[in-house]
Amino acid sequence: MVKREFYDFGVHPAPEGENSPEELVALAKHLGYSGLAFVPHSDKLSPGLPFIPSDGDFEVFKCIRGIELVEENPSKLHGLIGKFRKKVDVLAVHGGSEKVNRAAVENSGVDILNHPSPEMGRGLNQVLAKAAGENEVAIGLSLSALLYSRGFRRVRLLSEYRATLELARKYEVSIVLSSDAMSCFDLRAPREMAAIAELFGMEEDEALASLSTVPTGILARNRPSAGYVRPGVEVVEGFEEGIEEGIEEGIEEGIEEGELP
Amino acid sequence: MKRLLPSLRPRKRYLAIELISEDTTTRGELTREIYFAACSLLGDVSVSECDIKVLGFENGLGIIQCAHTKLSETRAALAVLTQVNRKRATVHVLGVSGTVKGATEKFLEGRVAFSINPLSLKP
Repeated sequence: MVKREFYDFGVHPAPEGENSPEELVALAKHLGYSGLAFVPHSDKLSPGLPFIPSDGDFEVFKCIRGIELVEENPSKLHGLIGKFRKKVDVLAVHGGSEKVNRAAVENSGVDILNHPSPEMGRGLNQVLAKAAGENEVAIGLSLSALLYSRGFRRVRLLSEYRATLELARKYEVSIVLSSDAMSCFDLRAPREMAAIAELFGMEEDEALASLSTVPTGILARNRPSAGYVRPGVEVVEGFEEGIEEGIEEGIEEGIEEGELP
Repeated sequence: MKRLLPSLRPRKRYLAIELISEDTTTRGELTREIYFAACSLLGDVSVSECDIKVLGFENGLGIIQCAHTKLSETRAALAVLTQVNRKRATVHVLGVSGTVKGATEKFLEGRVAFSINPLSLKP
């Protein structure tokens, strides 16, 4: 059995959150994650994007640069998406109003639309879900809201997530489960995240996929590997040798062709 | 009292857990918080079906029993625990086994509970 790699694509480090990226990484490693995406809210950015510890071990533990855009005006949101798209590997949008959700799902530069439904019945509908499916925008469900609410609010949240999940299944929209963590104490191990997701109707496999394969897919799309040639084409083995041989062959062929009358 | 036949005893799962917390905690406090979190999430009826018990807890490491068919519900109930004794805390399930011995030997022996550097927690 192949060991899954788990990712949490919604962590808010200091200064917005409480803990530094290093502390979050230490705990996430301990909990069994293979990587974290740091997605500070864009309206609470200190000048520039926050420092991300990389120290060259990207293969061991992936620290991914991301951002969560907060903007109520759709045209300004499109502008921000254009501005940050090249700078970050994960671009999320803080959903909420119908306008923002609509703008986010119709822009294929967006990777994740986070918590599209702050209130009951104002979240995802079939139009938005269809657009999200076409533009490959994943829907992000944050689990920390489920941890900290009680009673009435948690009941509403669970039924909202259930409704979102059904629409997402119907229109083949990917779901990303994220902790939306503001501190170390909001992080949960992948299996626990999956167990919480099972409460609102996700199958175990589905939940684990939304913590592993869906994030990996987003990452692969935005961070091309060394052998990347063009969409869908990639040199997997013998990357450097292959290219050199190819060039040499090409030159030889060119010469031969040139000699022909 | 006659002991129940082994074949008639309900099947269990034992979760080896670790509590990541701001402060040290006793077994009694942890038990109370787990029941509170579980009842609030699942309701009294479901929690009674889960058969959750804290069998032992020391130095941040412990073993929790649950019914073998209710493993994911129990995990979820443990995951929504956010505080013990008004100090923030997180339960991390290290592993699951069918026997107490297995859970102890595989997941707990020689392990020290993970601690978040307390100095860094000050705002």
